[in-house]
Amino acid sequence: MGYPYSHTSEVPIISEYFGDPEARTLDGWKARGGYQGLQKALEMSPDNVVELVKASGLRGRGGAGFPTGLKWSFMPKTKDKPHYLLCNADESEPGTFKDRELMRWVPHQLIEGCLIGAYAMGAEHVYIYCRGEFFEATQVLAKAVEDAYEAGIIGDDVLGSGKKIEVTVHAGAGAYICGEETGLMSSLEGDRGEPRVKPPFPAAVGAFGMPTTINNVETLAVIPHIIKNGGEWYRQWGSDKSPGTKLFCVSGHVNRPGNYELPLGFPLKDLIYDVCGGMIGDRALKAVIPGGSSVPLLSAEEAENCALCYEGVVEAGSMLGCASVIVMDETTDIVHQVTRMASFYAHESCGQCTPCREGTAWVTTILQRIEDGRGTEDDLDTLVELTEQMTGTTICVLSDSVAAPVQSSIEKFRGEYLALIRRGERVGAA
Amino acid sequence: MSEIPFKNPGWAGNVGEYDLTEEQVRGIDFVGIRPLEGGHPGGSPTYPYMLEEKDPDAPLFEGPYAIRFEKMLTRYPTKQAALLPALNLAQEIRGHVSAETMDRVGSLLGLSSAFVRGVATFYTMYNKRPVGRHFVQVCTNISCNLSGAEDVLDAFLEHTKSEIGETSANGAFTVIEAECLAGCGFPTCVQINSRYYENVTVDEVPRIIAHLRDNAAEAASPASEE
Repeated sequence: MGYPYSHTSEVPIISEYFGDPEARTLDGWKARGGYQGLQKALEMSPDNVVELVKASGLRGRGGAGFPTGLKWSFMPKTKDKPHYLLCNADESEPGTFKDRELMRWVPHQLIEGCLIGAYAMGAEHVYIYCRGEFFEATQVLAKAVEDAYEAGIIGDDVLGSGKKIEVTVHAGAGAYICGEETGLMSSLEGDRGEPRVKPPFPAAVGAFGMPTTINNVETLAVIPHIIKNGGEWYRQWGSDKSPGTKLFCVSGHVNRPGNYELPLGFPLKDLIYDVCGGMIGDRALKAVIPGGSSVPLLSAEEAENCALCYEGVVEAGSMLGCASVIVMDETTDIVHQVTRMASFYAHESCGQCTPCREGTAWVTTILQRIEDGRGTEDDLDTLVELTEQMTGTTICVLSDSVAAPVQSSIEKFRGEYLALIRRGERVGAA
Repeated sequence: MSEIPFKNPGWAGNVGEYDLTEEQVRGIDFVGIRPLEGGHPGGSPTYPYMLEEKDPDAPLFEGPYAIRFEKMLTRYPTKQAALLPALNLAQEIRGHVSAETMDRVGSLLGLSSAFVRGVATFYTMYNKRPVGRHFVQVCTNISCNLSGAEDVLDAFLEHTKSEIGETSANGAFTVIEAECLAGCGFPTCVQINSRYYENVTVDEVPRIIAHLRDNAAEAASPASEE
């Protein structure tokens, strides 16, 4: 169920026990069917676990939407060196707040998913890389890990199967780029969180130079349910290309913001006007960012018929990302918000690649100039040209992420930029 | 503390459909008080507190902290991997990570000073200089910004009489602008030391500050020192 609100359209699978403090405890989680998925997985062969996840069609929930089963199958079958599973809990995409809820309400669900993943891929150590700011969530998770160790669920003999799996909760220190999978590996190794060139892919050379798979918290949290109920069961929701349910993090100008677990393909319009109780003060919708701040904005018209699944949002002209829906009403000063986003990326650029290090800084400078009323119309063309050069030219996609909101906002809200440049008129200034 | 001091003590309880206490929402009753030596090694790399008491001259990695440091080392295949947790631990003890602290951590882990400084300055959460007793981080990224985060930030600056990033004259507050704290559904999200305050509005800022001051005064009064 959504937290802090729930809605009848929801299909609560991973969010069923949000707001239920009992579910945090080991006994509470067992009483709610916990660790049955792990038990079942341990009775299957690792290959069959991977096949089952493949059959469910689950796609990675971290943003890229890569099929999870396929990712798992890339891990070497023969084992001549250690394998690692990393859980990406470095949730820092602006607009996203699902992983923190998953960790603090149902930590054992995540641990169970991690253990199943580790078993399927022959990994002996799982590192859960948590965002440094999440003091409370990491403490809850760390306590749950300790309890699971004590109960013999993690450790030398996982549920009496003879398998040895270790779990370590690792806290980061506040860098957005560590949410990028190779940046996360660098950070885990004790280095600056600088992304690495691929190939080699993590499944060949990952953390500590060993075969590694990195999965998002939400991806791993749903695994126990898929193992318990089967792949076909999971496919009853969503579309053929985007099966299952997804946590939608809705923020911004809606009456009931929060997390809602809905089948993929849910109409964006219904999410805003029905599930979230409509716009604050019944104001008109101006723009929606459907997948966190690094995807293109959708105008109100584009949002009208947008279905929230991986392919549906692409069709509408954006990306689903991690389904962080940021809703903006007619009073929103788009120029100001885009400037704020750009300055975020300038701050978080790791500085390895020139187009990103210089580009994010210059985009921010030019946008701030426009905001201060010193911009020219040429600046808009400069921004478009600049961001084009920042797309696809760097190791990771942080650079592309700043290009998306800047380009889409200039394309869709050019009038607003021009009003500010030409006449100093600003939306929401009154 | 039986009465809830704010309508939103770290969660969106004022508007949600759940009837929970503050402890239940924040998981405090579940976690309890974690020992300084870190409990099981699997959880030792996380730090339990961002302490209000910050002692820049406190000895590093002694007593229970030495135990925690040793536990951390057992969790990684390389010593270098323990660098971030070790710096976290140093900051937990001292409140900030000075150049001297970085060198010390580097020598314990067999890393060069230059490397450790390169890493420590890369990450935002390592305070490179001392911060106030209450380290206030106001998220002003997009979702909070849409809901008036900049006004909340201004209110914090005004009521603590400090400049952004600078510690107030009495050493009580340092207010900074933070990037997204992943509390976008509960804007404005503010992190004060290790705790989140959610749904913060401009009107509530004076109350939050008064609450922090009261707690601090209580801790400092002779009556509670026994």
